Amino acid sequence: MSGIIKVYNFLLNGLAVCSGIIIFTAFLMIVFDVTLRILGFVPPTFTIAVVEYFLLYFTLLAAPWLVRQKGHVFIDAGTQFLPPVPKKVVAKCVYAVCICSTLTFCWFSLGLLIETYTQDMLDVRGIDMPQWLMFAPMPICFLLIAVEFGRFLIGIDDMYGDRTEVRESM
Amino acid sequence: MEWYWALATLIGTVMFFMAAGTPVALTFITTNIIGVLVFMGGTAGLTQIVDNSTVLITTFTLGPVPMFILMGALFFHTGLAIRVFDGLDVLFGRLPGRLCYLTVAGGAMFSTLTGSSMANTAMLGSLMVPEMQRRGYNRRMSMGPILGTGGLAMIIPPSSLGVLLASVASIDVGKLLVAGFLPGFVLAGLYATLIFLQIKFSPGSAPAYDVEMPSVATRIKLVITNILPMGLVVFMVIGFIVLGLSTPTEAAAFGVLGVIILAVAFRLLTFTSIRKSVEATVKVGAMVFFILMSSTVFSQLLAYSGASAGLLNWATGFELSKYVVLLMMLVILIVLGMFMDPTSMMLITVPIFFPLAHALGFDLIWFGLLVLMTFEMAGTTPPFGLLLYVMLGVAPKGTTLFQVAGAALPFLLCDAILIFILIMYPNLAMWLPSLM
Repeated sequence: MSGIIKVYNFLLNGLAVCSGIIIFTAFLMIVFDVTLRILGFVPPTFTIAVVEYFLLYFTLLAAPWLVRQKGHVFIDAGTQFLPPVPKKVVAKCVYAVCICSTLTFCWFSLGLLIETYTQDMLDVRGIDMPQWLMFAPMPICFLLIAVEFGRFLIGIDDMYGDRTEVRESM
Repeated sequence: MEWYWALATLIGTVMFFMAAGTPVALTFITTNIIGVLVFMGGTAGLTQIVDNSTVLITTFTLGPVPMFILMGALFFHTGLAIRVFDGLDVLFGRLPGRLCYLTVAGGAMFSTLTGSSMANTAMLGSLMVPEMQRRGYNRRMSMGPILGTGGLAMIIPPSSLGVLLASVASIDVGKLLVAGFLPGFVLAGLYATLIFLQIKFSPGSAPAYDVEMPSVATRIKLVITNILPMGLVVFMVIGFIVLGLSTPTEAAAFGVLGVIILAVAFRLLTFTSIRKSVEATVKVGAMVFFILMSSTVFSQLLAYSGASAGLLNWATGFELSKYVVLLMMLVILIVLGMFMDPTSMMLITVPIFFPLAHALGFDLIWFGLLVLMTFEMAGTTPPFGLLLYVMLGVAPKGTTLFQVAGAALPFLLCDAILIFILIMYPNLAMWLPSLM
């Protein structure tokens, strides 16, 4: 069991690391593209399309890790004055709703992934991208998000507790 | 279903789940699922939700958001921010209330370079409040300027929130960013005037103290080494956009490059600072983008259910002045902002308010700037303004929310004055975009 947990945690953290690498690569690609253009060379045609896909991967790959980090913003003004027991009940209901919603997304994105892959569908941008690439990270990421909310639901952790620092936001 | 029931269903579901403490991103995902089942029926719409959720976040125009966050994070984690502050510190000399002015000047500078209100408030709060307390400044004088300037980040470019707003509202990102430039500095001027008046009428609130003044040559050297190089970064970002040399995304990437070059030049760039900055970018950027995934579908549901069109016809059917309608929209935003973060407010209000503003004949860039201003005000409006809590988190022990809110109040009035000025003289905002 501990082996599975280790692999799972490695996957969760690894995807977040990939998210960071992806956004830094996007920065380097844009700088490289513009520099070439300023110097009078022809920049690669794929930069914009690839950066657009990178934004999607950047978002999705980090999303499960953000649940683990309690990094998804929420508003606790409505529940903070509740007594402990009703507060806990509301929290469990919230976790259950989140699991249902993310599993719904996981299921339907898997359907889209299979459909776009088997039909060789293309996403027409600066360059033609295989459309399945757009849906490829969705099933696994939404499944991992559901698992993370599952951890909260069975009481391994509490999304509303152990906040030691000010939530980062814009 | 009548448009008002459709509107109540969608907005009510969002409010219900948010009030229960559901993460904002999951609130919108769940609302979209429920909305599709109610208004479209069957599961075909669910496939459509997933398909359309990728639309907004795979647009190049959203690129500046993670770039600005990365730029600001590098600015903080490399220690460049402290250098700017040190440079500004020597400029103010023995001026009464110098720490307050330093906060406004530093805050305006940080806003320009980071684009993050929360980061600004947290950093200035932890840096300046203890020093101000040590020097005998009262709480009102030590917290007020920080809360005010923390919000400057929302309008002074580069503003991450400005990029988000422009992308969600489908308006020109570059023009909205540039439109905030002059009003942002006018607001900083209003804050400085307010501090001057507060000290004039209550000199004890910010007692003068002796500071060791370096020579003129040292001061000039500090300005040249610590402040002017940041001008390079500002030029890279704003200059590139105004001069039409690059798109906002490209300008933002060059802003990041500018900060990296400066950090290398000052030998401040380390692997740890890069790692921490990228981690901060992932934490904030991915969280905001995950919320935005639901934006397109939520707008489509408002349109499909007839809620947007119904509300638009209803609101424009009254014999009201368009400025009264504008005022109502701004008040709604401020009230919503007491409870919600700006991204959530955007998703709820943009699909309704921007078509309405367009129907009333307002310039959408100008209107977008007013919306950003109200986001700023909402962040410091009690009882739930997020910046108030950030300040409370870094303020000395024993500080109450009432004291923090009281300190913010005069600065909120400055915000209101700027909104009034912008309504009377729209060119203050529209002059720079008109050059593009």
